[in-house]
Amino acid sequence: MSPLKVTTRDAETGPVLEIVGELDYANAGELRDLLATITLQPGQRFVVDLSRMEFCDSSGITALIAAHSLAQEAQADIVLAGVPANTLRILRIVGLDQIFTLYPDRDSAVRSLDERR
Amino acid sequence: MCRTGHQSDPPEADDEMASDAAFTALLEDSAEELYESAPCGYLSTLMDGTIAKVNATLLGWLGLEREAVVGRMRFTDLLTVGGKLYHETHFAPLLRMQGRISGIALEVKQTGGARMPVLVSSVVKHGSTGEPLLIRTTVFDARDRRAYEEELLRGRKAAEEAHRQAEADRARLQDALAVLQQSLLPATLPPVPGVETAAHYHTAHPDRLGGDFYDVFPVDGKRFAFFLGDVCGKGPQAAAVTSLTRYTLRAAAVHDSDPVSALTTLNKVLHERYAGSGDPRYCTAVFGTLEPDPGTGQVAIHLASGGHPPVLVLRADGTTDFLPTPGGLLVGILPSAPFVTATTVLDPGDTLLLYTDGLTEARTGEDRDSLYGYEALLAFAAGQAGKPPHAVIQALIGLLDGFGDGLDDDTALLALGAPAPGPATKNAP
Repeated sequence: MSPLKVTTRDAETGPVLEIVGELDYANAGELRDLLATITLQPGQRFVVDLSRMEFCDSSGITALIAAHSLAQEAQADIVLAGVPANTLRILRIVGLDQIFTLYPDRDSAVRSLDERR
Repeated sequence: MCRTGHQSDPPEADDEMASDAAFTALLEDSAEELYESAPCGYLSTLMDGTIAKVNATLLGWLGLEREAVVGRMRFTDLLTVGGKLYHETHFAPLLRMQGRISGIALEVKQTGGARMPVLVSSVVKHGSTGEPLLIRTTVFDARDRRAYEEELLRGRKAAEEAHRQAEADRARLQDALAVLQQSLLPATLPPVPGVETAAHYHTAHPDRLGGDFYDVFPVDGKRFAFFLGDVCGKGPQAAAVTSLTRYTLRAAAVHDSDPVSALTTLNKVLHERYAGSGDPRYCTAVFGTLEPDPGTGQVAIHLASGGHPPVLVLRADGTTDFLPTPGGLLVGILPSAPFVTATTVLDPGDTLLLYTDGLTEARTGEDRDSLYGYEALLAFAAGQAGKPPHAVIQALIGLLDGFGDGLDDDTALLALGAPAPGPATKNAP
């Protein structure tokens, strides 16, 4: 068991949030509390980097949906980067692969917006 | 404290001799005084109970004159009716037998009708030849002690009352919980002509209301609707969503039993109810209709999925596969959501199996990622192909039991089958 660690930093494109460890029933609340402190501007891209996430249960999925709602309300874009295979399988079953843009890693997620500009 | 004997403890030091002598003199002088006004009552009676001697303390408590008592009353005359009875049945026999008795709680009558609780001890004085001569009795004032006991009794009564009230509250809550639980799941599935049905609900936590749901119900003369799903979260909040979901789907089906329409209605209801609440709630669900064809024994299935794992079709010929519904979104997270339909026809002996992810996400190893999974489920289901729904459900219950602690989520199972040609068809709950 590795505890959850969430770090945020600001890229040119918008906030980048990295989730490290296990996102489950016990600690998904931490992520949701942290989301409440993030400010998004319209047109920004909110990158959620999952490449070092080791586990994600349904509570974790709920927290990701909360992040999606946050971005939608702010008229910002949200993308998931480096989604682990297990989580990707769940996202496909519940249809969330359609509402999140997925990138193989954080760098490509940040770069692709720059290219669009 | 009531002894009438001389107190003659030796002095502790010589320089206290003078005061000690005065002390001893005081005691010797006051033996009679001590008897009369001791802090307890003294009483001597003949063996028949006639009072021969009584001290002033006891007379004061009784409110009687010495002349009215000595030689004229028996000890039992001082007692209340209950006290007399107790004296005759217990006190006197024990005293005769043992020669002494101590600390018996009785009540004496006071003038004016009041009763005074006392503690009574008696010894029989014997003569030189061993014959009983008289009874010496001490009477202690037990009013304070009785008040204290009553206080204790009151306290105990209050505690018992509080306990009884708590138990009653608990029973009422359990009843309420049972009724609510029933509103989440059908007690039994209705008989569906031309279709066999079986269901099972595994509760991960007995005192926690469930978040999985299923139902089967008629929609018109020839079709039935069914659904099965999983609400996010656990506990009462999740159960409230489960209840809303179940009745929304049933009501939606009355209006329009098309599976996508039913899920679209549910999506709208959940999103409107919860999206702005700060506590977004959603569910996964499969909704479908069954249309049995009495002529061929086939059952036409038309279903839609919103974010739910694909259902399984177990064919009588042994082939088993998922009926994929990729792209259907969780119900309730967006104002409008895509739902994906699938259709199939069950031939006699085929079974459609719906399940929640408690089954596929049961842990099968130490690692949190060692989950039972879809491949294992497909292989297990293939082993059940050709069996009727209740047998498939029984096999799955065995599988769930085998997970032990690895099964930490609620799990709902629903099997719908076209009966194989043969003797019996039945609907198991």
